[in-house]
Amino acid sequence: MTNLLNLEGIFFYAVICLYFAATVFYFLFVTVKKEALGKAAAAIQILGLVLHTAALILRGIGAGRLPLTNQYEFATSFAWGLCLVSLVFIWRFKFPVIGTFAAPIILLLIGYAAMQSREVKALMPALRSSWLGFHVSTAIIAYGSFGVSAVLGLIFLLRERMKNQGFWDKHIPAREKLDLISYRSVCLGLLFLTFTIITGAIWAEQAWGSYWSWDPKETWSLVTWLIYATYLHLRIRRGWKGRTAAIFAVVGFVCVLFTYVGVNTLLPGLHSYA
Amino acid sequence: MKKLWKFLGSMQFAIGLLVVLALACAGGSFLPQGLRYEEYAALYSERTAGLILALRLDDVFHSWWVLVLTGFLCGNLLLCNLLRLPQLLRRSRQAGDPAHLGAPTVTVGGVQDPDAVLTRLRMPKAVEHTDAEGRTLRIAVKHRAGLWGAWVCHLGILLLILGFVLGQMTKEEYTVYGVPGQVKQIEGTEYALKIRDFQLQREADGFVTQYTTALTLYDLSNEDDVLAQDATASVNHPGSAFGFKLYQNSTGDAAHFTVRRDGETVQEAVLCVGEQISLLNTPLQVQLRAVLADHDKAANGSSVPGYAYQIYIDDSFYGMDVQPEGGTIQDFLPYEVSFSEPQSYTLIQLKRDRFSRLALAGGLITLLGLFLAFYCQTRRVWAIREADGGWTVFGSSPKGGALFAEQVREAANQVQS
Ligand code: HEM
Repeated sequence: MTNLLNLEGIFFYAVICLYFAATVFYFLFVTVKKEALGKAAAAIQILGLVLHTAALILRGIGAGRLPLTNQYEFATSFAWGLCLVSLVFIWRFKFPVIGTFAAPIILLLIGYAAMQSREVKALMPALRSSWLGFHVSTAIIAYGSFGVSAVLGLIFLLRERMKNQGFWDKHIPAREKLDLISYRSVCLGLLFLTFTIITGAIWAEQAWGSYWSWDPKETWSLVTWLIYATYLHLRIRRGWKGRTAAIFAVVGFVCVLFTYVGVNTLLPGLHSYA
Repeated sequence: MKKLWKFLGSMQFAIGLLVVLALACAGGSFLPQGLRYEEYAALYSERTAGLILALRLDDVFHSWWVLVLTGFLCGNLLLCNLLRLPQLLRRSRQAGDPAHLGAPTVTVGGVQDPDAVLTRLRMPKAVEHTDAEGRTLRIAVKHRAGLWGAWVCHLGILLLILGFVLGQMTKEEYTVYGVPGQVKQIEGTEYALKIRDFQLQREADGFVTQYTTALTLYDLSNEDDVLAQDATASVNHPGSAFGFKLYQNSTGDAAHFTVRRDGETVQEAVLCVGEQISLLNTPLQVQLRAVLADHDKAANGSSVPGYAYQIYIDDSFYGMDVQPEGGTIQDFLPYEVSFSEPQSYTLIQLKRDRFSRLALAGGLITLLGLFLAFYCQTRRVWAIREADGGWTVFGSSPKGGALFAEQVREAANQVQS
């Protein structure tokens, strides 16, 4: 078991190097404006994701449980989720510029994971629940999707300033399409966040006898949920579609990050282990 | 008046409410909740403390104004759903009606095989009609149910809020603690709870992995016919009896308390940490403060526990000390008082929330609504046969916009080539 965890450690640091390389290549892609660099960056990111997946599997086997139970495991899984969802959107919409913005966030998240303790500790009784897997894995996809929405919101806001430049016109879709892609990622995120909140409530009810206690993490996941619900309605109102909605997509992800990092450090509560 | 109703059911109002509620929740998580005036005054200033209490910011999540906002949100959702119902029924009935196709978002001319385009778009089989000009028209509609997504989602949220609020208002919640063998009356109810057994499961290194209490709940409402139901509660696996859910909430230390006089036991009890007991009929009280597992070392190196206690006389503090295992407390002579047999007590929470299922149903309906709204978006593709024998293909998807238009164009191109 220790061998597997050691191997996971090696993979983990290799993944950091790959994500760093992907970030550099994506940056060069938009500065040097050579398509081959974008393709190379995406290929490195895919390799990083494969190795990252292997690292998580090794940790799961090494620890004898799902690798989703402490700060380190959640941070690395969050980075994995964002990496996966961003690659899906890059591939689905042939839009490698997403990577230029997503890769540094992935790097930050995995850097945050590297600062946490990697020790495998025994689980407290409340965490020994099959709901944990559903709750945290849906959160990872939700957070990853919201990361992509924020990236798309940023691109939308920056796109307004970029005019008549061949490279950008080729690699960044028109505003309407950009807004629709961002909407797709919010849809995925909100569906999964709702799943996360419901499975969390069911689990909380079994573990603590109350499905909703206004614990800071719960409260902030509700704030996030409300922000994205607002985003959806803003998009439907003609005047607020586009720019205002894009700002909300960015604000929503700030809430996600606060729910994840800020709540743990600034507002301790029942979720203090996560 | 009509304008007011319209505003109360409008989406602008909904957006405003959602933003204000989000801000209220965020604020409530930053401002320490449940403090007293003096505590807020010490943290901020007296004026701020006054303001906090006046606006009920000390208990944001249960304040009248959050309740009013939530009430408005429910009213807003209800009105919105009621107002939109006739339109939705009409739209879903007319989805495949050639007279109500509306403006397409995409048009592709000169298509030879419209069915192949539909297959590429994974649309269901088209239904053939003849339009007013006598042309052949084929219409395929996918995901009619998607029209209902937002409506179902709003309904789910309404039920969720209703279940939550009713649950908060009517739920019954009690806690009972004790050690195996004890029977405790549940204050304010006609139930009593017997703790039959309490077990801690540990890993090899002593780490506790599970707490399990076996218990019996008695219904004492009918003295002549006391009913009993057994249950087991462990963390993540609540038991149930008489409509209550029984949760293994926590645990703590306890010890046996004995009073002897002239070598004879005259009083016995089990005290949990924090509990206080009066010494027979005297004004003296003893409180167990803590059980110290490693208070001392015996000659053979094993740990000797100790019991930290406090003494009160008529509720006034008198003194405190630690009694080692095997020792006695001499302050009460001629009574000999002692603690022994360190043990764990279990804390059980009993809860009855008749509306939690409604809240859960609301949550699941919300989820279904979101799925319908996002992943079953209604699409219509129709084709008209032109005089030259070719077909013009049209598509519309209220939510798909440019992306859907692109898909239709791509599918048509692929079929053509
Ligand atoms: C917690 C609150 C709410 C949530 C989570 C929510 C959720 C949603 C969702 C998921 C959609 C579909 C959006 C899409 O497909 O792009 C939607 C649409 C809509 N919502 Fe809400 N909603 C909420 C509150 C409200 C309220 C209070 C109103 C009251 C007017 C409202 C009015 C509408 C309307 C008119 C639509 C457009 C429906 C359509 O295009 O078919 N929503 N909402």
